[in-house]
Amino acid sequence: MVVVGGGVGGAAAVGELRRAGFDGGITLICAENAVPYQRPPLSKDFLLNGAAATNCDVQPPDWYSQQEIELLLGVRAAQLDLAAKTVTLSDGGTISYDSLLLATGVRPRTLPGIDGEGVCYLRTMGDAAELLDRIHAAEHVAVLGGGFIGCEVAAAAVRLGKRVTILEALPTLLQRALGTTMGELIAGIHRGEGADVRTGQFVSGIRRRGRGLSVITGDGTVDCDVLVVGVGTLPNQELADRAGLPVGNGIDVDEYCATQAPGVYAIGDVAAQHLPSYGRLVRVEHYDTAIRQGRTAARNMLGAREAFTDIHWFWSDQYEHSIQSAGITDNPDDVVMRGSAEQRSLSAFQLNGDRIRSVISLNRPKDVLDVRRLLAREHSVTAAQLRDESAPLKRLAPPPQRAATAN
Amino acid sequence: MTAQWHETVNVDELWEGDMTAVTVDGENVLLINVDGQVRAYTNSCPHQAGPLDEGDFDGEKLTCLRHMWEFDADTGCGINPDNAQLKTFGCKVADDGTIYVDIGR
Ligand SMILES: Cc1cc2nc3c(=O)[nH]c(=O)nc-3n(C[C@H](O)[C@H](O)[C@H](O)COP(=O)(O)OP(=O)(O)OC[C@H]3O[C@@H](n4cnc5c(N)ncnc54)[C@H](O)[C@@H]3O)c2cc1C
Repeated sequence: MVVVGGGVGGAAAVGELRRAGFDGGITLICAENAVPYQRPPLSKDFLLNGAAATNCDVQPPDWYSQQEIELLLGVRAAQLDLAAKTVTLSDGGTISYDSLLLATGVRPRTLPGIDGEGVCYLRTMGDAAELLDRIHAAEHVAVLGGGFIGCEVAAAAVRLGKRVTILEALPTLLQRALGTTMGELIAGIHRGEGADVRTGQFVSGIRRRGRGLSVITGDGTVDCDVLVVGVGTLPNQELADRAGLPVGNGIDVDEYCATQAPGVYAIGDVAAQHLPSYGRLVRVEHYDTAIRQGRTAARNMLGAREAFTDIHWFWSDQYEHSIQSAGITDNPDDVVMRGSAEQRSLSAFQLNGDRIRSVISLNRPKDVLDVRRLLAREHSVTAAQLRDESAPLKRLAPPPQRAATAN
Repeated sequence: MTAQWHETVNVDELWEGDMTAVTVDGENVLLINVDGQVRAYTNSCPHQAGPLDEGDFDGEKLTCLRHMWEFDADTGCGINPDNAQLKTFGCKVADDGTIYVDIGR
């Protein structure tokens, strides 16, 4: 069994292969020169508390040898031969596989001309270490892109006492992911914390200014010491593409996490998965989904035929605020609200007929948990029921036999 | 070391399927009634120290709402992630229903 990519998805997969009882050879090929680690802290605790205080390891470093998993660090899978069932490595070696998992993740989308000294993109531990040094040395931190990474880094920089400016092209922060109402709430939170949030700003380039930078926007310039760019990602799909596997926005897989080549699977951020319940390809970049898909794919590599039916879930932490979501939101502006915007305790539900399709919450994680359970069950709901906070969400489903007596 | 039993609440106040937080000698302890069996854990998620009594207990599974870490309420073993474990304390219910907890000091 060969797994390409030592992110949380690949690491979950090799763990599941062993847990399921597979005792043959397992190789995990990791381009990065580090044992698999978790990225979510890199824009949060890692910046706030430093590298030494933040353990990001997925498993302790000696776990891999204990599990007899061959870990190739600092080695890339350079070429994939589907007919010969071999992977050629960047160090010149070749390994053959019976079953292969592609878990190569994504990389930051870069903007032409916006690079060099003082410009930081954030994906890896190395990126985070550099960013941390730069933020510590900076007085003024500018963030280009008000998505999750941009907003989280901005929150950390504010908490580290820095002057922070967020530049976003769309009318509000996190608009695509969370919709206008939620986005405005998040923008209000950042402004309340002292960040300068400038929306509708198109950044066209940067100019060097002494040891700092001038960011050129439609309205003028913003001077800063460091510019953090978070403007989306590109899937690492070239290996699959060159081997002839269907790719588009990610590597196409079916509900079993399988590509069209026998024995070859793909999961995590790089995988665009056809999900019959949504009737389309779904590619998400969420920690929990990468792990769960990794486990499902591992079992299927061992001969199971298990569809991925886990409910998509993600979170983002900014300051003391918790954003969480369950399900896949298609249109975050076509939603029913529950809770209070003033109290920053709000959930936005998207409906699909009389079923809940998804929820996005600010500081209402209980709603997210309830929806996560409802999505896996029969239920029926109206918009009025969702708006009415006195109607508990879990009552929307017929009670399971056991819980009926407990309440 | 001999156990140091500290008196906490009465089991009448902790119904099946309920949980509550108590302070035992300065330690924040979660008491949880799993199918009539009382268990005592540290009231803090091993992930980022989220308060577990503000989480969700469905009768079997305890979920920390901060990042949805799930634990088997009966054993404290992590379900997701499965390599997590809640710190467990000794716990017994006396004949009069008083719940005693031993936090190991
Ligand atoms: C700063 C940051 C914060 C985040 N915060 C959150 C959050 O709060 N909540 C949330 O849900 N998600 C968050 N995410 C997203 C989450 O980290 C990803 O969804 C997750 O890492 C996906 O895991 P993966 O295994 O699919 O891919 P990755 O973690 O990207 O791992 C892929 C690995 O494969 C390697 N690789 C690529 N090509 C090759 C090759 N040819 N050969 C060998 N190796 C290769 C890459 O170098 C990489 O190490 C965050 C991401 C970042 C960057």
